[in-house]
Amino acid sequence: MAPARPGIALRLDAALVPVLAIATALVAGGAILWAAGPQLEGPWLGLQFVAVAYLSLLEGAVGSRDAVIDTVLRAVPYAFSGLAVMLAFRGGLFNIGAEGQLTIGALFAAWAGFGLDLPAVIHLPVVLATGCLAGAVWGGVAGLLKARTGAHEVITTIMLNYIASQLAAYLLNGPLRDRSPLNVIAQTPKIAEGARLPDLVPGMHAGVLLVVAVAVVTWFVVWRTTTGFELRMVGANPDGAAYAGVGVVRRMTWALGASGLLAGLAGAVQVAGVNYRSTLGFNVGYGFDSIAIALLGRNTVSGVLLSSVLFAALRTGATKLQFRTQVSADIISVIQALVLLLVAAEQIVRWLYRLQAARAVAPAGDDEGREVAPVTIGSAETARTSK
Amino acid sequence: MKSRRELIMALGAIPVLAACGGEAAPPAKAEPTKAPAAAAPAAPAPTTAPAPTTAPAPTAVPAKVFKVGLVTDVGKVDDKSFNESAWNGAKAGAAAIKGESKYVETQNPNDYKKNIQQFISEKYDIIVTVGFLLGEATIEAAKANPTIKFIGVDQFQGAVVENLAGLIFEEDKAGFMVGALAALFSKSGKVGAVLATDVVPPVWRFGEGFRAGAKYAKATTDIQIVYHSTVGPEKTFSDPEWGKATALSMIDKGVDVVFGAGGNTGNGALYGVADRKDKGVVAIGVDTDQWNTVPEAKAVLLSSGMKIIDLGVSDIIKAASEGKFKGGNITGKVGLAPFHDLDSKVDAAIKTKLEDIRKQLDAGTLKTEVKPAKG
Repeated sequence: MAPARPGIALRLDAALVPVLAIATALVAGGAILWAAGPQLEGPWLGLQFVAVAYLSLLEGAVGSRDAVIDTVLRAVPYAFSGLAVMLAFRGGLFNIGAEGQLTIGALFAAWAGFGLDLPAVIHLPVVLATGCLAGAVWGGVAGLLKARTGAHEVITTIMLNYIASQLAAYLLNGPLRDRSPLNVIAQTPKIAEGARLPDLVPGMHAGVLLVVAVAVVTWFVVWRTTTGFELRMVGANPDGAAYAGVGVVRRMTWALGASGLLAGLAGAVQVAGVNYRSTLGFNVGYGFDSIAIALLGRNTVSGVLLSSVLFAALRTGATKLQFRTQVSADIISVIQALVLLLVAAEQIVRWLYRLQAARAVAPAGDDEGREVAPVTIGSAETARTSK
Repeated sequence: MKSRRELIMALGAIPVLAACGGEAAPPAKAEPTKAPAAAAPAAPAPTTAPAPTTAPAPTAVPAKVFKVGLVTDVGKVDDKSFNESAWNGAKAGAAAIKGESKYVETQNPNDYKKNIQQFISEKYDIIVTVGFLLGEATIEAAKANPTIKFIGVDQFQGAVVENLAGLIFEEDKAGFMVGALAALFSKSGKVGAVLATDVVPPVWRFGEGFRAGAKYAKATTDIQIVYHSTVGPEKTFSDPEWGKATALSMIDKGVDVVFGAGGNTGNGALYGVADRKDKGVVAIGVDTDQWNTVPEAKAVLLSSGMKIIDLGVSDIIKAASEGKFKGGNITGKVGLAPFHDLDSKVDAAIKTKLEDIRKQLDAGTLKTEVKPAKG
């Protein structure tokens, strides 16, 4: 244990590709903006237009107190579910099910929020715990299936997403629906006052602190405990881990369960801090975006937090960008997709900037900065093509 | 490099071509929705529309111009029906009073409030919010900003807020008319409707109006009505694949008149019918005269159950500029669109019967018996 701390240079290297990918995507996005914008005379006006667009994006994301709060709040669910996906990745598992786990977490947290009558002190913790538990069960099912029957978690978690969204449709149109005569939307009643997250500063709920706490705990568990060590062993080499006496089956179930727990918490915090209820369709791809966030963050805690903020800022600033330029906000989705494409296919970035091939193996005992599963595939290809 | 520049130019040219490639019908002609994904970012480009109001971003705004902002529901200002119609109204209204207009498209149902706030903080004079689901956010914003006028399209006002006009429509009547038309026109005696979610009352009224009208016109008609209710608000109006698949399965079961209603989901149904053109099936559109807006379906489009949204919106904007704005509910006009290409296929007897139904509905001697919302 007690690995050497990774040096600054090493960290910079790990951050280089994502940063270059983001920069490249912004340039390419600028070209698309230019093309999508009004017909302008000459390149100078075109450049000006793109500059205005990006400045609007920046202003919309961080240009005022409200904008900053909006960005931070939007980053919260991304961060929780990004950590969820990261955790599973570290165990060598692809959790595509954060979407469903988040939905289920929100659903049951909302139920605990309006259905239970508890004193305020314990109501909020109960709501959050219910969300966690529901998410953990949803993720754990996939883990159990994987461990007991070998069913691939990518398939099972995708299928569980469908089940989750249909279950939500049923419950929100049926048993959990707000029956007040004015309500015509498939949603639960609002949760009790005592079950809501208090404001940290006006307009920003305390879930932000929770993110920080959960990030620290996650980091500690994954990199500083025996459980985490075994998890990473299983992720790096399941056969080796089994040979070393690690209960691979148990660890896999644990990993997907814990991953589901974090995703469920993402849903519960949205309910307790933002919407105060669960509404059909409120979960607009947080779970899917979180896969991207974990990848962009190279499956490190700090990386996940940073990419959550980036994604949130892009989404928050999109309104201002659209307002100023009258270009579809879909452009933002395109830029996000470009970032991901370039991170996932890092070979493109390395080729564009003539970077050296990725280090094949990280120093023993340290993998904070090392990539797992999908990115290692990229590295393997790097090794092959650079021969 | 060179090829990249060409690509950019090609992308940029799309909206222009689309804008000059059509009849002289509605403002803001959009290109077909089936544009390849690569061209999607270029699609909306409202700046090429005839309205002189949407100045590109960098230009300075002259002092005291009436400013009209529009927030769509999860949908696009070029959706060829609901949002587009409202946006055309906002543009026309702003143009008539020499004001300017801008829009923000909602991408995420959690953002209604934020998108409205965008216009409030830019000190807009009139804010149009489009769609039933924005109702709550609009009322909240109107109460907090009494000096700004709000227009809520499809938003029934339970209590009057002085600076908020709810532009509502009797969709049940429009639905009744198209239902009657469908039943009278159908050869197989089977008609169908493909709709967005029934929790949105205007959609429900269209669907149930259709049912009532078809039954009234020909009691033996087999009526199939499918709502897209098991998905959330972010999906229900923007799922053309579902709309198309549903329409196709109806056609395969013998339905020969399909009514598609609900943004792009409804458009999907029209595309489905267009795919089965050779089978002699026809489609009925919604909200606007979709013969103008969905060129793919021209040959099969029998008519459209129209809500004259653009006129309603622009009238309220004009009234507001003259200081005659009134809060509460304002009922807009509904009607049947012309038969266009299929005019010769519609018997004179059917036309007479429809005219008769319209008169009776207007006079109130015939009731659709549709509840305002799903109970």
